[in-house]
Amino acid sequence: MGRLVAGELTKVATTRLWLWLLLAAMALTALYAGLNIAFADDPQNFAPHLSTAQGQRLLVAIAATPATTFVAVLAAVGVTGEYRHGTATTTFLATPHRSRVLGAKLAVYSGAGLAYAAACLAVVVVLGVPWLSSMGIDFALGSNGLPQAMVGVLAAGVAFGLLGVALGALLREQVATVVGLLVYRFVAEPIVTSIPALDEWTRYLPGPAASGLTGSTLEIRSFLEPWQGGLVLAGYVVVLVVAGVRATRRRDVT
Amino acid sequence: MTGVRIIVDGLTKSFGSVRAVQGLSFTVEPGVVTGFLGPNGAGKTTTLRMLLGLVHPDAGTATIDGRSYSELARPARTVGAALDANAFHPARSGRDHLRAYCVVNGFTRARVDEVLDQVGLAGAASRAVKGYSLGMRQRLALATALLGDPEVFVLDEPANGLDPEGIVWMRNLLRETADRGRTVLVSSHLLWEIQQVVDQVVILSNGRLAHQGALAGLADGYDSLEQAFFALTRGR
Repeated sequence: MGRLVAGELTKVATTRLWLWLLLAAMALTALYAGLNIAFADDPQNFAPHLSTAQGQRLLVAIAATPATTFVAVLAAVGVTGEYRHGTATTTFLATPHRSRVLGAKLAVYSGAGLAYAAACLAVVVVLGVPWLSSMGIDFALGSNGLPQAMVGVLAAGVAFGLLGVALGALLREQVATVVGLLVYRFVAEPIVTSIPALDEWTRYLPGPAASGLTGSTLEIRSFLEPWQGGLVLAGYVVVLVVAGVRATRRRDVT
Repeated sequence: MTGVRIIVDGLTKSFGSVRAVQGLSFTVEPGVVTGFLGPNGAGKTTTLRMLLGLVHPDAGTATIDGRSYSELARPARTVGAALDANAFHPARSGRDHLRAYCVVNGFTRARVDEVLDQVGLAGAASRAVKGYSLGMRQRLALATALLGDPEVFVLDEPANGLDPEGIVWMRNLLRETADRGRTVLVSSHLLWEIQQVVDQVVILSNGRLAHQGALAGLADGYDSLEQAFFALTRGR
């Protein structure tokens, strides 16, 4: 299994996609965090103020959406690319037990999820600590539930790395999978979660579940408790991974 | 060296309503070059992919040394396959492609440069595959097959895109490999490309076995080898 993981790592490292997506995730995190801080004192801002623990947890949790979305794209491309470019043939010739190939990809892209989440968290910290300090606010990373929020973001990164692999294995079609992921995360999910009447249901969606995992709370909508959010995400991972493995084993590689 | 035999027994596969392969049985012996011939769409690629565990047959079995491909203890050491000259990530270099395959199989790094030299691709190894000609991709596919120094070679249309010099080089490679007691199964839809090097032929027509035997006697009763080939594969 170690050789398989090393081989998958070699594949990721020998093209540049991981870097571009990481930079995109970090840039988007910087944009979100920057806007959040810049408009902190705006009277029309409905979010809890950054001087509160609740507001600071939300600032940390901003890293989750860019990190999880882009690592899921990276993972999905890593799986669907094997079919798109035909390298699945070589891959399955080396390892005829296809579930082991998926296992190695799950290991590699969960690690990538951890790394993406850590990098996006670093962006929030590097941007937030001096900026908030200049506003006279203490962004105390060791308190206010911020360590738990950071762990939540890291865990969400891992979960979405796994989800990306599973989704790619299930759908196999690269463009559809990537476009679907981006549209879902950046269009569909924001729209449905903005409807208060649907709150009771939409909080179980992957993105809001990840927000729950980071300990996010808002007056205008409800999130799951961190442990519930983690459990819900784990449920998505298990169901999709099982489905992805089944599809991969049954499929003819032509 | 004892040699590895391939046995195909009753292989059958349909894709939707298309019957790609029907009740196909043949044997490939070590120490000779076996040509796997048939017109486009005869079922050659599907058969080779079933042999290698990539396509699941509806019925029948294919074994290498008595085992199915997925049961082989070290598949890439036993079988070297080049099935598709376009199956590379376009942005990855030839060397990196081979390196990833080496890492997975636990081959030494030195093998990468050895096979690159062997196929004459050392000069282009650092370039991304998207800049390769079809002939160069074909050589990279062969290099991938050679990495594990395998007992069995399974090559699907390896002459496609090769220049005349490349075709001669490939024929010599197949000849030397078979002369060392190894098993060589090479498909082609063009008999003339490989007729100088094959000893045995398995001829496929519409997914069924049309003929198996030595190339030597194939033209008996016909004006030419080509006429025999056409007669065997026509109207079935």
